[in-house]
Amino acid sequence: MSGRVDGWRWAGRVFLVLILLFTAVPMVWMLLTSIKSQFAAMQYPPQWWPKEPTLENYTKLLDPTNPVGNDFLRYMWNSFYVSLATTVLGVAVAVPAAYAFSRFRFPGRTFLFFAVLLRNMFPAVVFLMPLFILMRWLGLVGTHGSLILTYLTFGLPLSIWLLKGFYDNIPIQLEQAARIDGATRFQAFLLIVMPLSVPGILATSIFSFIGAWNEYVYAATFLNRQDQLTLPVGIQRFFAEFATDWPGLMAATFLMSVPVVVLFLILQRYFVRALTEGAVKS
Amino acid sequence: MAKVTLENVVKTYGPVTAVGDVSFTVQDGEFVALVGPSGCGKTTTLNLIAGLIPISGGNIRIGDKLVNDLDPKDRDIAMVFQNYALYPNKTVAKNLAFPLQMRRLPKDEIARKVAEAARVLDITHLLERKPRELSGGQQQRVALGRALVRDPRAFLMDEPLSNLDAKLRVQMRTELKRFHQDLKATIIYVTHDQLEAVTMADKMAVMNGGTLQQYDSPKNVFDHPVNTFVASFVGSPAMSLVPLRRVVEGDAVALAGDGWQMPLSPANARKALSAKSDTVILGARHSTIALHDGPREGAVPGRVYTVEPTGDVTFVQVHVDGAIVIASLAPDVAVRSDTNVWLGFDQSRMHLFDCETQMALT
Repeated sequence: MSGRVDGWRWAGRVFLVLILLFTAVPMVWMLLTSIKSQFAAMQYPPQWWPKEPTLENYTKLLDPTNPVGNDFLRYMWNSFYVSLATTVLGVAVAVPAAYAFSRFRFPGRTFLFFAVLLRNMFPAVVFLMPLFILMRWLGLVGTHGSLILTYLTFGLPLSIWLLKGFYDNIPIQLEQAARIDGATRFQAFLLIVMPLSVPGILATSIFSFIGAWNEYVYAATFLNRQDQLTLPVGIQRFFAEFATDWPGLMAATFLMSVPVVVLFLILQRYFVRALTEGAVKS
Repeated sequence: MAKVTLENVVKTYGPVTAVGDVSFTVQDGEFVALVGPSGCGKTTTLNLIAGLIPISGGNIRIGDKLVNDLDPKDRDIAMVFQNYALYPNKTVAKNLAFPLQMRRLPKDEIARKVAEAARVLDITHLLERKPRELSGGQQQRVALGRALVRDPRAFLMDEPLSNLDAKLRVQMRTELKRFHQDLKATIIYVTHDQLEAVTMADKMAVMNGGTLQQYDSPKNVFDHPVNTFVASFVGSPAMSLVPLRRVVEGDAVALAGDGWQMPLSPANARKALSAKSDTVILGARHSTIALHDGPREGAVPGRVYTVEPTGDVTFVQVHVDGAIVIASLAPDVAVRSDTNVWLGFDQSRMHLFDCETQMALT
């Protein structure tokens, strides 16, 4: 009996280790390649551990006087700008929307709430052409505005859903108490509800930031000027020109994933809380 | 402090009437309990007085001021919630200070009033803690403190004791009563526990199905319930109610069951005659029923169903004509289940209700 239980347990462990290798090995290989020289990276059989580790690829990318670094830093800034604008605007819209869905009963509430999710039922690519035509009509093709608007339509539904769950879990009596204690409805929201929903707002912010940071298809379609490109598109086009500088490419992708990983590490406890909020009665 | 007046107050949600035509006046300094079963509209009524939900009809006055359209913040009332609604991210001191900050009192006055409220409620040592670090009873005191820190015109309390354990509830009940006496505060107190209402309140408003059934002192509600609902809701164990046939022979009126008759006293006979139909509901509290082990003049036969000793009194449930009648005995008297007994009703303290209207016959 116990032997069989142990068998399952070991099978589970082996499975988990395989999954871990599957996800971790490419990242480790990326990191190792990024500190090799161009020559070492192409060697066969491969150098499993770089014989002469170098940070040259990184210094090149982060040096604004170098043309490669200049472009890379510009792409990074573009990505940062677009992602941040998406996040800030998204939160500014999602917070009041989620609060309204959570607290008010108004005609069409249920319909609207599910309509918000409608977009998420289709693959993003389906909307590529319609949105492109719409953006051209709005005169936004070739601007960061087109991307920010598009990313907002992707990120908002999820943000509103997550935040609504958060507000649902804040007892309405807290606001009622505040209003009786002399606060207006808006003050009750600002002074009592907002501080309590900070974890939820942080979690949804990460969601929309990462979504915007990683997006490729729309960025590749809507932007055409070299100096406007965001990182995912920039890295791909940029390195295609120089044949394949694998160590440089790996260094660039590593730098691109740093903000996401850092955000996750710092805010993961809020993140988990947001996703499980309301799952178990406290 | 001020008096609070409700005039024909109505609250509807679409076709649903949550509160229908409720009127009563809470005098300055009075402790009024709103009681009734779940969903009877008592909490809705309290929220209407607080201004947390808009009124559909009628008038609410606090003092002489019509407050129908005033925001909660402009009604100058304080409220204690069932879940206490303490601000979880603020310390106890900041919880207490919040209503004063909202009213823009000077800092030194806020500090003075917070210290005073904390002293009165004996929570000075908790001032720097967060609500989640407090026990239920301590949270309760802080909630009370936040209400009394700013001399409101009336206190509204929504089941403030129901989240406490039984022992603490009894203790806080005493303290709340003392608090009312010391402050001469106008208190409107919602509870589903009729015992809390009876023990603490000057008056109780018994509600059912969104309407006010009776508004009177606990003693009068207990002694003279206006209908069968109030009769069965107030008092523990509940008043026994037995529907019986009215038999009139000349001047004599009696209530008849299966194979027995109970002649009525002249006063009760007059009441019974005013009933609209021939069925009259007999109501009697356990303390007014005598239990005999043999037939007596005017006693009603029944069969013992269960015996419940509670220590200082033993309750005996007796089957009478398909209904259950609860009588009480001294604990040293032995009664066994499934034996025949005879019940003697005290005619001067029994109640008669009309079976059609369920109203008390007078």
